[in-house]
Amino acid sequence: MSKSARTTRLCSVAAVASLAAALAVSPAGAQQPPIKVGLLEDVSGDIALMGKPKLNGSLLAVEEINNAGGIMGRKIELIHLDPQMDNARYQEFARRLLQRDKVDVLIGGITSASREAIRPIVNRTDVPYFYTNQYEGGVCDASTISIGAVPEQQFSTLIPWMTETFGKKVYTIAADYNFGQLSAEWTRDLMKKQGGQVIGEEFIPLGVSQFGQTIQNIQKANPDWIMTLNVGASQDSFFEQAAAAKLSYPMGSSIKVMLGFEHKRFPPPALAKMHATANWFEEIDTPAANDFKKRWRAKFPNEGYINDMGYNAYTALYMYKALVEKAKSTKKADLRKVIATGEACIDAPEGKICIDPKSQHTSHQMRLIGVNPDHSVRVIKDFGLIQPYWLGEVGCDLTKNDPKTQYSPSNLPKK
Amino acid sequence: MFAEAFSIAFQFADVFAFLILAAAGLAIIFGMMGIINMAHGEFITCGIYVTVIAVQHGVPLPLAQALGAVSAGLVGIALERTIIRHLYHRPLDSILATWGISLMVTQGMLIVLGSSWQGIGTPLGSFKVGDYTFSAYRLVLFGAAVGVLAGLYLIFMRTGYGVMARATMQNAAMAKALGVRTERMYAISFGLGAALAGLCGALYAPTMTLIPTMGITFIIESFVTVVVGGANVLLGTAPAGILLAIVRTALNAWYGQIAGQIGLLITVIIVIRILPEGVSGWLSRRER
Amino acid sequence: MSMLRKLNGPQTMGNSRAFWAGFVAMLAIALLYPAVSDPYDVGNVAYLLIFTLTALGLSLMWGYTGMFSFGQTAFFGVAGYSYGVISINLAASGAMTLLCLLGAIAVAALFALLLGYFLIYGRVSGVFFGIVTFATTLALAAFFGQTAGPEWAIGQARFNGFNGMIGMPPLELPWSGDVIVLEGNALYYFVLGLLLVIYLGLRVLVNSRFGNVLVAIREDPLRTELLGYDVRKYQLVAFVIGSSLAALSGGLYTAWGQFIPPASMGLPAAAMPIIWVAFSGRQDLTATMVGTFLLLLMFQTITVYSQQYALILMGFLLLLTVLLVPSGFVYGIARSLSLIGRRDKPGPEPVLRAGAEGPSS
Repeated sequence: MSKSARTTRLCSVAAVASLAAALAVSPAGAQQPPIKVGLLEDVSGDIALMGKPKLNGSLLAVEEINNAGGIMGRKIELIHLDPQMDNARYQEFARRLLQRDKVDVLIGGITSASREAIRPIVNRTDVPYFYTNQYEGGVCDASTISIGAVPEQQFSTLIPWMTETFGKKVYTIAADYNFGQLSAEWTRDLMKKQGGQVIGEEFIPLGVSQFGQTIQNIQKANPDWIMTLNVGASQDSFFEQAAAAKLSYPMGSSIKVMLGFEHKRFPPPALAKMHATANWFEEIDTPAANDFKKRWRAKFPNEGYINDMGYNAYTALYMYKALVEKAKSTKKADLRKVIATGEACIDAPEGKICIDPKSQHTSHQMRLIGVNPDHSVRVIKDFGLIQPYWLGEVGCDLTKNDPKTQYSPSNLPKK
Repeated sequence: MFAEAFSIAFQFADVFAFLILAAAGLAIIFGMMGIINMAHGEFITCGIYVTVIAVQHGVPLPLAQALGAVSAGLVGIALERTIIRHLYHRPLDSILATWGISLMVTQGMLIVLGSSWQGIGTPLGSFKVGDYTFSAYRLVLFGAAVGVLAGLYLIFMRTGYGVMARATMQNAAMAKALGVRTERMYAISFGLGAALAGLCGALYAPTMTLIPTMGITFIIESFVTVVVGGANVLLGTAPAGILLAIVRTALNAWYGQIAGQIGLLITVIIVIRILPEGVSGWLSRRER
Repeated sequence: MSMLRKLNGPQTMGNSRAFWAGFVAMLAIALLYPAVSDPYDVGNVAYLLIFTLTALGLSLMWGYTGMFSFGQTAFFGVAGYSYGVISINLAASGAMTLLCLLGAIAVAALFALLLGYFLIYGRVSGVFFGIVTFATTLALAAFFGQTAGPEWAIGQARFNGFNGMIGMPPLELPWSGDVIVLEGNALYYFVLGLLLVIYLGLRVLVNSRFGNVLVAIREDPLRTELLGYDVRKYQLVAFVIGSSLAALSGGLYTAWGQFIPPASMGLPAAAMPIIWVAFSGRQDLTATMVGTFLLLLMFQTITVYSQQYALILMGFLLLLTVLLVPSGFVYGIARSLSLIGRRDKPGPEPVLRAGAEGPSS
């Protein structure tokens, strides 16, 4: 099966665009072998809601970069596979992309489980891997470059503001898996530092859709505000059911609105009083952001909300481009030398962002947003550039050693 | 004090309603025909989406919900006539075939309908007892669950169809020999089961996130209830619902939802071990 | 030739000399395959073969003995986690990793023994056997899914919740003074060897007196019992053997990817072995082995090339199998081929009816 045939079918838009661009540019440029980008995003099953924007973001970035002449004159060839939310498929396809297609860089994965499935495989090669989601943080691995926001960026901004504005008593509901448990741990730690307390904590198994008991537990505890870290379509039903029971506490979150665009999916006022800190949400109103939105809408006129996953997937490719152009190489070791200088930066639609040398996570322009009763979104506070400082503080320094581990506040590196 | 007691009763009723509504359709299809319908969740999804589409086109919610149930029923009859009727007395093959249908329908709907729809909102507002506020619509759900049980009792005990259906259930060959058109009984029963699944979806549609894969959120609860209840809908489903609602409400309240979920699965394992024919098998044996 | 006689019998297809000639030819092709193929494909084939072991185990339990297990993934997962726990705590390398694999299988086999005793001696059968095994695997998946906290660990090995356990070593084999990591060609030959031994071993087993009793149980447990056999003992042994094969798959898979997540025990993973075996033809080992491999390869290829339509195609395939060839595609095709091949001498008619079907008594 010829690879070009497959690529055309898989991501016809990008391929056609790159072909058109290749014809336009001088023949010398077209003769260079393309840079192969392997992309693993789920576009079928439960999680397609998240995977589709990520694929779209990547397609848009590839098209733009190729139209502008590629990376160092080399076109990007995007090879996308759909692992269907299956961890075993993630492993198979990561191997396929690395060993058979011999991609120069691997990008993708939605859940942390899929990232953990990929990491050991990437680690046996010298290909860099970009994980483009916001997540629970803590991965200290030289092969992995994390583009999304992490808890210290989201919670260290959100929680002090929520405590000052609404009060010191919080009730946490969180999905009962790694992301939810670690985020709840972050909430606990930061609340303590703020002199507040977590007066109730509830972990909900993935897939649960009925929240009668939870709603009553919250009323019984009567907190000042709720930290909502519920994940997935089923658990989002909480908002509708809480609104129907007239639960009207202020809410905070690190994933709502910008990621699952719940304010567009539930009728008002289910999400009213929701607050979140994010590096991207569609309502950002700056010239760079508006320009990005316009380009996105032109390419995908029928797609819904532009969420932070799609946005991060888009910026990941530009970050890769910047790294390769500075390193004048696609090798992982050379890219990491650029990262080690601390000058791996790009001007993204959110503003300027850089990769932190110690943790290989990305600094972000964080903004606090609030949802109004009619589900419009207002920007409450601009925190400016926030570093992914936590891993470096606790002792992860990828410029010195590579433990290939995921740390958490209760599982710190041994000093 | 009263508020606490009311809250506990309310939660129990809420869990009970979910179990009964999710399971009724599956129980009829399993009890009548021995078919384990893995596409049960897709009938529920069908009910949900028909309801939502109707509401978005201006149909009043109760009517839209009735439409949802009826459409699921019609789809069920069509499916029975084309595919399911080849699978009677092959319960394991029926699992595979309906699983295949489920895969096709879920992914097909995801491609056709897309993955995010705006919800339609829960009607009827809320009421207050002590310090607690409750969604009034949850009472409708409980009422509907009781109504479904009562309705099934009336249908099976008081109508001509019911008599013939029960005869078919007990001994299909004998019923056929006595002139019951068993094929039609099967088609109607499958349609009834599908319609009840659709009704479940229609009733829960306003309260949940809309996504084509949402049918599976009902699946484990419905299977657990049916297995614990056994083959006889009339005798088994209600007691199973009560038993499981007690287990789940208690575990949810004491140890959180994960305990409720694992507790439900362990209850099934234990019930099968001590009552292999479910609650209804045990009850009917005691009667004899 | 007595060895060959033991391999052949009424419980397996392919007893003719032509079959064995073909078998040897296939084996030769399989042995030469790495020489003519690129390393990725070899590794991929090895990976797919890992899962055929689960399928063979299920064929023995379901196809031959009539025990419909919907929870083979429970043993797959338990072995995977056990391999992680044992190998991480022993910081295993070299031949030690193989002992860890054996230990993991032993843990899963013990678990199968307990669950099997609970079910079989509780007279659970038919569809209910499937439901209990299914509930078991789902409960395990739910349990491991919430073990993200550091308190969920055995020694150095953290379960790590939904994200899955990582950090276990790959399998290593001492080889002429050196140690080779089992991946690529080495893994391929290792798995191929295992599969060959297990396939031939199972053929001997099902064609032995023991195997005849298993099939008798599938056909009519009551009559078999009246003939004086302790039916439950036979069922339990078959259950433990079948589950140990799922465990072997799980251990190999975990070592292959250095990763085992709870999703490997949940839905839809739990349904996959049933789909493979049903598609292939559960009442025959050869059909199961060949069919499972082909189906895995087909599903993988479909997923690569058709993306979001893959699940629709898979569902359709399943429906088609049940409606058109209920005994399984590979089995059905092989049967009709063999009937054409030797019209003069129809062999013993294998019984198609599976005991688990029909109302459980």
